[in-house]
Amino acid sequence: MTRIFLVVATVISAAYALWPLPTDFSTGTAALTLASDFDIDISAIPNPPQDLLDAISRTKGYLQTDQLEALVVDRGASYNQSLQNASSLVSLVLSYDSGVAGEPTSISEEAIDDIDSRVEGYTLTVPEDGSAATIKANSTLGLFRGLTTFGQLWYDLNNTTYTIEAPIAITDSPVFPYRGFMLDTARNYFPVSDILRTLDAMSWVKMTTFHWHMVDSQSFPLEVPEFPELSLNGAYGPSLVYSTNDVQTIVSYANARGIDVLPEIDTPGHTAIIAQAYPEHVACPGATPWATYANEPPAGQLRFANANTTNFTASLISSVSARFPGKYFSTGGDELNTECYAIDESTQADLNTTGKTLEQALDTFTQTVQSVLEDSGKTPVVWEEMVLDFNLTLSNNTIVMVWISSADAAAVADKGFRLVQAPSDYFYLDCGAGGWVGANPSGNSWCDPFKTWQYAYSFDPVANLTDAQAKLVIGGEHLLWTEQSHASNLDSIVWPRAAASAELFWSGPGGNISEALPRLHDVAFRMTQRGVGAIALQPLWCALRPGVCDLTA
Amino acid sequence: MLALEQSASTAQPIATEAVVALDARDEGYSLSVPLDGSAGVVSANTTLGLLRGLSTFEQLWYTYDGTIYTNYAPLTIVNDSPAYAYRGFMLDTARNFFSVSDIKRTLDAMYLVKINTFHWHITDSQSWPIQVVQFPELAQAGAYSTNQSYTPNDIQDVVTYAGERGIDVLVEIDTPGHTAIIGASHPEYVACYLSDWITFAGEPPAGQLRLADASVANFTAAVLAAVAETLPSTMFSTGGDELDTACYAADGPTQMMLNESGRTLFEALDIFTSTTHGALHALGKTAVVWEEMVLEYNTTTLRNDTIVMVWISSDDAAAVVQKGYRIVHAPSNYFYLDCGAGEWIGNDPTGNSWCDPFKTWQESYTFNPLANISSAQVSLVLGGEQLLWTEQSGPENLDSIVWPRAASSAEIFWTGCMTCGIEWFREGSKRLGFNQSGVP
Repeated sequence: MTRIFLVVATVISAAYALWPLPTDFSTGTAALTLASDFDIDISAIPNPPQDLLDAISRTKGYLQTDQLEALVVDRGASYNQSLQNASSLVSLVLSYDSGVAGEPTSISEEAIDDIDSRVEGYTLTVPEDGSAATIKANSTLGLFRGLTTFGQLWYDLNNTTYTIEAPIAITDSPVFPYRGFMLDTARNYFPVSDILRTLDAMSWVKMTTFHWHMVDSQSFPLEVPEFPELSLNGAYGPSLVYSTNDVQTIVSYANARGIDVLPEIDTPGHTAIIAQAYPEHVACPGATPWATYANEPPAGQLRFANANTTNFTASLISSVSARFPGKYFSTGGDELNTECYAIDESTQADLNTTGKTLEQALDTFTQTVQSVLEDSGKTPVVWEEMVLDFNLTLSNNTIVMVWISSADAAAVADKGFRLVQAPSDYFYLDCGAGGWVGANPSGNSWCDPFKTWQYAYSFDPVANLTDAQAKLVIGGEHLLWTEQSHASNLDSIVWPRAAASAELFWSGPGGNISEALPRLHDVAFRMTQRGVGAIALQPLWCALRPGVCDLTA
Repeated sequence: MLALEQSASTAQPIATEAVVALDARDEGYSLSVPLDGSAGVVSANTTLGLLRGLSTFEQLWYTYDGTIYTNYAPLTIVNDSPAYAYRGFMLDTARNFFSVSDIKRTLDAMYLVKINTFHWHITDSQSWPIQVVQFPELAQAGAYSTNQSYTPNDIQDVVTYAGERGIDVLVEIDTPGHTAIIGASHPEYVACYLSDWITFAGEPPAGQLRLADASVANFTAAVLAAVAETLPSTMFSTGGDELDTACYAADGPTQMMLNESGRTLFEALDIFTSTTHGALHALGKTAVVWEEMVLEYNTTTLRNDTIVMVWISSDDAAAVVQKGYRIVHAPSNYFYLDCGAGEWIGNDPTGNSWCDPFKTWQESYTFNPLANISSAQVSLVLGGEQLLWTEQSGPENLDSIVWPRAASSAEIFWTGCMTCGIEWFREGSKRLGFNQSGVP
């Protein structure tokens, strides 16, 4: 699944910065400016969905406000003469390819479609003579993807918006449908506005899934009306919560941007916080030394051998999942600590009574919880241990997230499950920030070193997989675990690195890293113009001189 | 009420006290906050001491439900004064640019933890943002853009803002290495300008001042003096790290001049240094250099009072002190804030940060300023600083990559307690009230 792209003519000093790289594209060398009365024409779309209209508004807004000067040494000053003589583009026409009849579905509806049936392809043309540019697609989501690309073509020089690469012709569609970013809002809280800003940035690089790791052992910020004590007692503070309105806001905002929200309530591990509300459901809450009973403090896990706890969990999952329109829901399942259960008399009593082993009890628990999801039409998602460490009966359509190591993908695929690549050795954004646990001065990040964009970009999602197994890979995601992160460093620790997987899974692996860097700089600079504080990847001197600061320069 | 009592016969502005020579600086204070609501008192010899007392006072207060309160009363602090006179933070504004407001926000944070020196690494090979009135071409050709430069007013603005906060501004114009950018306006002054960086530099772009050329030495001295004379600090750094000798070996003009004068490269460097330092001394400044000037280049012309910054490894401190120079600790293995963010050089997917791993606050906090320093030499240890090299940093991550880690050295060099360990950092609220001051 290596990528193939066609570049007919590209000026070396040009600042084309399409990310992710389209399947097929050609550019020219003609200057073209954006007319002051430029508009987007939707007369070919009789009943445009509101979220498409909103997306068009946003695109027009970005065209005005990006004001990004080309990333070349003179920031484009030498193009001035060409721009004086250039044609200007007045219109971008959107239309559906023939075959789309009746009332078109909205971006939001298509964004939460079954992952296998998403249609995101589009074609985009920008003639050099000022005649209308076009975006055509078989779906509203495709039109949206085209709009996103259109927004990446334009630069600013002395208040003129321009491209120097007309004519442009792009045919584009993604290789993998699952292209995600995971945010842990439990170790530290993230205000809704930070999440919305992150969703915007995700949409600019065509990501499809916001994997929301909502709660964990340290806090429970999610308000669940059926179980109010969970957030009442478990959130960091009364304002550090996500109300049902907040969830609604986040989901609508995401869906309108072509992003599905994959909620996760990690169980049965990672649930110490539940003891604050329902101590009867949690084994070894706050047990010390925590390192014996958990991977990180505080210790505490659901008493899954207990029928009441199982029912509670099923009910919780049911209540929460009902508030998300997407088809996928993660129940987690990572890092189970068995010592915790060995010392828990209640669990031991339940095991004795039921005559089950811990694994069998886990099976019962898992099946109960999964059936609640299946009954409501949801597909369960779990972490890899549920498949690799335990003998459990999981629904056939369960999606498995491979995180411990990229090497584990083959084993998961062997068991016939669809999988999402989320390997710590490539995609964990938090690696390399030192050890956060106190009284440990020589402690290091468990997954050191820091995973650079380059290293992530070199990932091969189907390495060591047979062709049949490769078909089970639905995509991948970058992840931010937030033991050492909060709002103040969110943008800079995520962007533009997370864009590396966005391209990997849209364009396919095997991209040229040297060729990619100038484009990634452009993404980062454009993000900054749009209010997302992407980090500086290199000195500005290097960003303005593609290739010069390469190892092989 | 909080009463301020200062004992100096004439109260000097804080800014004046802040730039007094290191050995004469007086920052001590006493603070009492009674429990009965009667007046708290900050007393000190100097206004700078009063300022230090105020920063402590600010750390006492919390908020709940609209009430501002403290649990520390009754509090008595008697003669809190720093163990080390030099407590710094270095910002590189050349690899990436930082606005005056970014710098001011950083100075505010420094004030809160009593850091007293802003080491401003203002130029390097990638850019020259400082406008030098007498040499306008340097910034015209070398700044990333006009907006990304510091006017003389900007410099004074920063100096004033810092001075008000008891912070001395130590500007560094790194020479003769790290000067490729000078080639943008004076290509004749620079050896191996933009040539193969892997062979001729530590990082791209390559280019170093032709140090064997007297006119280059004079030019450099004039530039340094032009900048130094606008600054109130007693110190000015000429840098001197990471000289690439291969660059000079391959440079025709340099070789010709060395042959003509019959000198070795290091001898020529000696003369170059005495020229540049001479200009600074004429202005009453003390020169500051990086450790290689003393440990690698056999420089014989450094004046006795030259301050040496030890950066390559904490292990090198003893060697410098042995030679009788005063030192500032700036070791990469403890205090470099940029370590551990991966390799920034392109086309190197498996590359790593040269100083991996990331230096946590805990790791920095274990630093011992007096390791392998004899008691006779203790007075040569001026203090230390944490540093942010900015190849991979900009305004977007400035606050989060610096704070609160840089507070680690702030405590080591104020409190100077090597046996206190981690518990001292934990004790008392160490969120340091940053959020209220607008620095996260």
